[in-house]
Amino acid sequence: MLFPTATFAIFFLVVLPLSWLTMPWPHRWRPFIIAASYVFYSWWDWRFVFLLAGCTLWNQVLAVRIWRSTVQAQRRALLILALAGDLGVLGYFKYYDFFVSSGDNLASYAGLDLPLSLKTIVLPVGISFFTFMAISYVVDAYRGDFQPTTLEKFAVYLSFFPHLVAGPIVRPGELIPQIETPRDPRRVDTSRAFYLIATGLFKKVVIANYLASSIVDQVFAAPGQHSSLEILVAVYAYAVQIYADFSGYTDIAIGIALLLGFQFPQNFDSPYAAVSVQDFWRRWHMTLSRWLRDYVYIPFGGNRRGRLNTYRNLMLTMLIGGLWHGAAWTFVVWGGLHGSALVYERWKQERRGGAEPRETAWTRWRARFLTFQFVCLAWIFFRADSFAAARDMIEGLFTGWGQPSPLVTGGVLLAIAVGIGSQYLPPRIPRLVMARFSRLPVLGQATVLALALMLTSVMGPEGVAPFIYFQF
Amino acid sequence: MTERARPPLPPLPPLPEDETRTLERAAPRPEPVQRRERRRRAVDDGPSRRQWSAGHALVVCVLALAIGLLLNAPGAHKSAYNRPAGWKRDVALALTGPLAGVSHALLLDRPRKGVQAAIGRSGEDGIDTKIALPSTPVQPTAPVRSAGTTPSPAKPAVSTKPDTPAQPRKTAFTPTHKLRIWIAGDSLVITPGYAIVRAAGATPVIESVGGVDGRVATGLTRPDVFNWFEEIRARVKELHPTVVVLDFGGNDDKAYMTGLPDGVTIDDFGGSVWRREYARRVGGVMDVINRAGAFVVWVGLPQTSSADQTARFDVVNAVVEKQARKRPGRAAYVDTYRLFAGEDGGYTQYMKDLSGKLVQVRAGDGVHFEREGGDMIAREVLKVLNREFDLTSWRRKSR
Repeated sequence: MLFPTATFAIFFLVVLPLSWLTMPWPHRWRPFIIAASYVFYSWWDWRFVFLLAGCTLWNQVLAVRIWRSTVQAQRRALLILALAGDLGVLGYFKYYDFFVSSGDNLASYAGLDLPLSLKTIVLPVGISFFTFMAISYVVDAYRGDFQPTTLEKFAVYLSFFPHLVAGPIVRPGELIPQIETPRDPRRVDTSRAFYLIATGLFKKVVIANYLASSIVDQVFAAPGQHSSLEILVAVYAYAVQIYADFSGYTDIAIGIALLLGFQFPQNFDSPYAAVSVQDFWRRWHMTLSRWLRDYVYIPFGGNRRGRLNTYRNLMLTMLIGGLWHGAAWTFVVWGGLHGSALVYERWKQERRGGAEPRETAWTRWRARFLTFQFVCLAWIFFRADSFAAARDMIEGLFTGWGQPSPLVTGGVLLAIAVGIGSQYLPPRIPRLVMARFSRLPVLGQATVLALALMLTSVMGPEGVAPFIYFQF
Repeated sequence: MTERARPPLPPLPPLPEDETRTLERAAPRPEPVQRRERRRRAVDDGPSRRQWSAGHALVVCVLALAIGLLLNAPGAHKSAYNRPAGWKRDVALALTGPLAGVSHALLLDRPRKGVQAAIGRSGEDGIDTKIALPSTPVQPTAPVRSAGTTPSPAKPAVSTKPDTPAQPRKTAFTPTHKLRIWIAGDSLVITPGYAIVRAAGATPVIESVGGVDGRVATGLTRPDVFNWFEEIRARVKELHPTVVVLDFGGNDDKAYMTGLPDGVTIDDFGGSVWRREYARRVGGVMDVINRAGAFVVWVGLPQTSSADQTARFDVVNAVVEKQARKRPGRAAYVDTYRLFAGEDGGYTQYMKDLSGKLVQVRAGDGVHFEREGGDMIAREVLKVLNREFDLTSWRRKSR
């Protein structure tokens, strides 16, 4: 069930009143919201509901046992067991064929024949997200950061439909306390919710889909057939497309959760206005980067074991982050590029003795420009479906200047400008819009939203393209 | 929830050290600047947001969707019309039909039409099921491959040494007189289509015209969703291709068709009436292209991870293959069913490429192709082109 569809609109119009009606009675609300979330999830493939239920049960049982156990060795063994289960499921569904085919190719170079056979495995939507949330729960229990809750509340935490298929990756300490306390139906931040839903829909349906169909898909599919200008614009267009697509999705998710009375953490904060790659990761998919920090980087040792180990840990974290995005070596290279940039920035910072460089408007804008160029270069590996395609794209950036560029249209340039320009929008403007909207009468609010829906519907391409992050 | 005594956390890493702090904000500032900043923020924050009740949220949602539905009624009606046949479509049509009438009567469809006109997309809400096909096919004695039909002013170079005397002479193409290829179809054509475009770019005698016209969820059974009959007619007239590569049928494996001739009703998919009507459409499309002087390469449907779907695709393939066979020298059929068969003859997602490397050829959905699968189809299409046209003699002459 995709957010920008009539099916979801009907589903939500049923769930919204029932959720608030049952909210005062948690023993009724929780089974209801679990059932609604499972219906939402089963819309893709009902069989995976059992996977979600199994993941819930497995992590709950082990988290409770970890919490109750007083023997450190036993707690550790239980944690390893829980992680092995979670990563095993993720590895099987997402990476089995990738590792077998990579192993087979490696073995064939050595003249060996691997006995493993490939399987046709359908990737359950959202598995990367709910597995990471389950890992947070178990690890937090192990660390003593969070006491496991009841099975019912944990099931709500893991399956809550607004975040279920593409995040944001909400931590137990952020959502479970909200689940435990009935939300106040008298105070709902409706203006922020509607603002996020309307802008999220526009970003996804109009900006992302338009750029994908107008230039990105065509150029990335056959870079050799396009001019350098088209390739350059397609790379920038992809940067805007993936931002509009993913941040659009999370905006809608956060807005829907708000209407149900729940607060999700922010996931994007103008990432293309970042002044360094480190800054980019504080602004891009923020819930994933903090997850990687807390559950990968710090367990590896973080920055506590000397300079070289810090560099190694940074690189490993980003390589894992890359692989999390997809079972392909191009994603690993994307992660590696970001890891290298983070190591370089860290090294440079250390050479300065930790002192911040003198900052002027010029240096800030130069840093923003260079960071954006680096991020765009790395996106080529993220988007390309093979190294050959990425190489063709990079080669094409230099070899086809002066050729006709019919795909570089005013509409494409405008969409890119809107996508990048929106990152520099002063925060007071959306705040002002939301405040003004909140003071409109009911009919006024409904009319504004209806007009926004109409504009999105007319300006978007026909059909509903899936969200990019669904495949992760 | 209770907090337990926990070991001290290590110093925060340099990755996202502090989610709210940016380098700009981190710069130390003197006291008066901070005060000024606080004052500026107070002004920037502007009026505060009013919180509303959950009931208010629900009423706004319902009203916004209702008004939005009225404003978008023509589009909603078209979407309902384009749905797959079944009770959901019937219900959607029953709801959106009167809604479109009300919207029109109240002039509520005007804003939508105005925006469509402003962005050059007028007429998108129209429903077109007209199928215009030639009533008589091209004469079988006039194979396209020797017709020399491209609009290029340069005279085609004709190969002087045919392989056998019985074979008709092939039209020869050179770097100055290129074979023009146009590719169209449903979503299945997109990946192989771009592979063909890449392959065309690697040879100096083939030129891709019009890119890859791949439209998701379309086919020949539902001109109301997208009228390929008009599109193909218009595009061959505009682009003057020498070869048109088509890949249709992935969405045609259903009984329901629109644009049927008067008196024709289809009860079941694959029945005699369905086959006759689908053959008329496939053959008609081939004839439209042939009449424009172009050769048709029709890429058949592959087997999929679903046995039921594969069985339905077999029915579609049988009709297409038969129509292509009826037009020797003017159409060719590329059999992808066998091309993508695994070692056991069934569906496979991975195959060895030319270098013996194991590669993923089929997408995770079990239907579409990955890049390497597209390359395999492109090679098959090039084989057909080499068989039907002379793409190599210019090399000998240029030596």
